[in-house]
Amino acid sequence: MNALAAGFTFEARLLRRSFDEMMVLVTAPLMTLILLSITEHAGRTDLAPYAVLAPALIALWTIALFTSGEIIERERQNGSLEPLVATPVAIGSVITGQILAVTLLSLVGFAESWLAAWAAFGIVVPIVHPTAFTAALVATAFAMAGTASVMSSVFVLSRSVRAYQNSLSYPFFVLGGVMVPVALLPGWIEPLSRAVFLSWSADLLRDSLTPEPVSNLVPRLGVILALGTAGFLIGLVLLRRAVDRLRRTGTIGVA
Amino acid sequence: MLPRDLLAPFRIIRYSAANAWADMWVMFTPASWTFGYLSRLLTQVIFFALIGVLLDSPDLVRFLFIGNAVVFMAFEAFISVATTTWERRQGTLPLLVAAPLPLWPVFVGRSVQWLPTGLLSSSVALFVLGPFFGVTWRLPQALAVIAALAVIGVSMYCMALVFGALVLAAMEMRNMVYNVATTVMMMICGVMVPLTFWPDWVGAVANAVPLTHGLAAIRALAESSAVAPVAGEVVANLLVALGIGAIWMIAAAVLLERLAGIGRRSGSIEFAA
Repeated sequence: MNALAAGFTFEARLLRRSFDEMMVLVTAPLMTLILLSITEHAGRTDLAPYAVLAPALIALWTIALFTSGEIIERERQNGSLEPLVATPVAIGSVITGQILAVTLLSLVGFAESWLAAWAAFGIVVPIVHPTAFTAALVATAFAMAGTASVMSSVFVLSRSVRAYQNSLSYPFFVLGGVMVPVALLPGWIEPLSRAVFLSWSADLLRDSLTPEPVSNLVPRLGVILALGTAGFLIGLVLLRRAVDRLRRTGTIGVA
Repeated sequence: MLPRDLLAPFRIIRYSAANAWADMWVMFTPASWTFGYLSRLLTQVIFFALIGVLLDSPDLVRFLFIGNAVVFMAFEAFISVATTTWERRQGTLPLLVAAPLPLWPVFVGRSVQWLPTGLLSSSVALFVLGPFFGVTWRLPQALAVIAALAVIGVSMYCMALVFGALVLAAMEMRNMVYNVATTVMMMICGVMVPLTFWPDWVGAVANAVPLTHGLAAIRALAESSAVAPVAGEVVANLLVALGIGAIWMIAAAVLLERLAGIGRRSGSIEFAA
């Protein structure tokens, strides 16, 4: 637990001085204006919750992809991976703490998005079901951190995958139904979409912003949490494999 | 002697362009460009075009599709904002400043690799992905669209050089400038909604961006069954785009030479950032 807290504190301090890492928080309000301009121009004020929610989810995913995904690689480039591996605490706990700090900060995107809608268009999107919204947000942050831990390990294990890091954004925004619900996509995409926690999160968060009662809240939260837990478990297994390989081959600093 | 001096900028641009092209293939392999880079761009176009499906409007699907496919030409030209700074990062800027020739041609050639890739990205989106979103082209229209994309690319590249010159003096801002500039372009240049949606002053800013006029030309081509009926409108828009691009180019050359002058006087151009 101490290692987790240490990782969290270290990353939080680091992020205060790493402006580039949080670049997407600068463009998230602009993205809100873009999406709102489309729905407002079409006269669909009922879709404002979609346009406000999507940029926040995009910010969450993008920061996980480019900041959390880079954590282990950054430790290696700093030359701090060797002492981290040599210390008696579990490296997984430290990395998880770091990822949690990044994920927590990326939630600022939600506040930015709501504020941008109000400041530019005078649109206030009410959170009609605050309990469902808060629960969905916490579950989403947990699942995002779990998914980020997979990315972080995969990017270290495979250089070739890292070359495709950039391409892991918009395909997941489509699959995850971030703006356009999965139900409106071709049927063959749905099984793929349902394996991505974002699709469950986006649907549930949107439902919590509309007047109709939120149906099946607990099972839907359960799916998000299960996908997040699967992410953490896979991430830890991959991280162990990566560290074992680096130890065995003696390539920690140069691999 | 005189002809050689006059030709010097073109020679520098050619050498610099060769350097740029070599950079391109260090950054990408054909596979990583196609499956890593182009595939992301295409899914970005799909993401925004699908909003038209959400709005239950085939017209908006087409509008959003064309806008987002074309904007990649401008985005790729704008990558030069970041790549312009590579000369400073690599420590070659002081040598270029010390050379007895103007600095601006170096930067004109330095990032040209993004023009053919931008043309290819936008073309693949418009012509390969287009039919799936109700956007089809006849051959003469397609050729005119390719010419319009080239105009957008060149004129936006000129505009990007100004931003590149500015971030040369503040390198830590390069990613921020690129991201904010391209997102604002998406917002105000008629990519997502018509210009008339925004207040007049926003429209005035958008009109200083060549993309706005180039995109209007491509939309005119898309709405017409043939090139001839809209040829006048298309040519006029493209000439305006080129004219604005030329103004940006002059501003970029002045800024770059001024930067070199200030650097020489103050000794502030370091060998490595």
